[in-house]
Amino acid sequence: MATLEELEARIQRLDDIKQIEQLQKIFGYYQDYGEWQKIVDLFADNEPSAEEADRGVYKGREGIRRYFIDLLGDGLKPARPGILSIIFQLQGVVTVNPDGTTAMGRWYGMGMEAKPTASLHEGELRQTWINGVYENEYVKEDGKWKIKKLHFNLTFRTPYEDGWLKVPVVGQNGPDRVVRPDAPSTSYAPYPSGERVPVHFTHPVTGK
Amino acid sequence: MNLEELEAEVTRLEDIQEIENLERIYGYYFDTRKMKEIVDLFSEDTESVEIESHGQFLGKEGVRKMYVQGAGGEGQTESGQPAATRPRPVGGGTVIIQIGGVITLAADGKTAKGRWHTWLAETFPFGGVMGQYWLHGYYENEFVKEHGKWLFKKLFWNTSFYTRFETGWLVQPIVGFLPMPNPDNPPTAFYPYPSGYHFPYSFPHPITGEVDKPEFKYRHPMAV
Repeated sequence: MATLEELEARIQRLDDIKQIEQLQKIFGYYQDYGEWQKIVDLFADNEPSAEEADRGVYKGREGIRRYFIDLLGDGLKPARPGILSIIFQLQGVVTVNPDGTTAMGRWYGMGMEAKPTASLHEGELRQTWINGVYENEYVKEDGKWKIKKLHFNLTFRTPYEDGWLKVPVVGQNGPDRVVRPDAPSTSYAPYPSGERVPVHFTHPVTGK
Repeated sequence: MNLEELEAEVTRLEDIQEIENLERIYGYYFDTRKMKEIVDLFSEDTESVEIESHGQFLGKEGVRKMYVQGAGGEGQTESGQPAATRPRPVGGGTVIIQIGGVITLAADGKTAKGRWHTWLAETFPFGGVMGQYWLHGYYENEFVKEHGKWLFKKLFWNTSFYTRFETGWLVQPIVGFLPMPNPDNPPTAFYPYPSGYHFPYSFPHPITGEVDKPEFKYRHPMAV
């Protein structure tokens, strides 16, 4: 029979996983509505970073603010009518490190969007399917789980009318020239590159 | 922690798991048209149920109207027998995926709220012709624990779009309206894409604790 302390540690681990899952799902709900300030507030105080698709890496609190508010939020101007972004946060595998203060999580991002895309029909709203894989890191600060590192690896963003086989990616333009990233992309290899995003977790049975 | 505190923590984690399962089971029952089983997932003290543009139905009686006589209920009476007057459309069906539950338990552990995405692939004879549709919406539901079991107390599915497979949400956000004949109230917030409607979150911000109070001024599509 486990001692009270051992039971407490096990329950704490389950609670940590649940809190991190909710954190990632809430990130998704805020992203759907373009609530960039609320998203900035989900990030860690200490050395956070964000990297999505081919936009490059934004580092530190200031980088997070520049990425979400200046770039994605366009300075928090009212969103253009008709912009749609619904991205499900699916199938989380969360690994809490033994000390219980850091964790990693892998998720699918799968969604439906309507956005102006630059590579075709510039400025016109287009409807797209988007899919990719997150490998994220989390940290517990002051008793609360926060996002330490957000990394979304795009698999496809395809026009609704075409599909991923015909047109794997529209609307990715590389690093922004005004709101510049702090470092270049660490990985960007959408379909059909054949590259796989490495998994953070060890094999649950063999431990490898 | 002492034993009582540990028990409270375990109960809290179990409650969240039970509610996640309840919502998913609701989805599986809907897909398999087990409407009587759905009715039994609701509390006798149900506040209301509202889906799509059907209108708002009050109380447990409203739940029966919605599920047994109405949405998805064609082809099944409350006793589970086929209803002769409403033959089940051949080839019709729904796949309702319940995604991304975020559950907020009340401090006393007796009630809870939860938000989900719903993503549907539907086959439905809209306008008399069988069609294939993609739908999306958000749930904000409420739950109550009675005699140790979690039940629905309020269900609200807020539609984002209801589009033909052949066209997509940008081209045709809503294929049409599906009001039911006997709601207690008209739809309370049926503002599909591209209205920009913000369906309020039941959860507070996990770090700042901020409670969601969105401002939404509906702008009629015909308004200049």
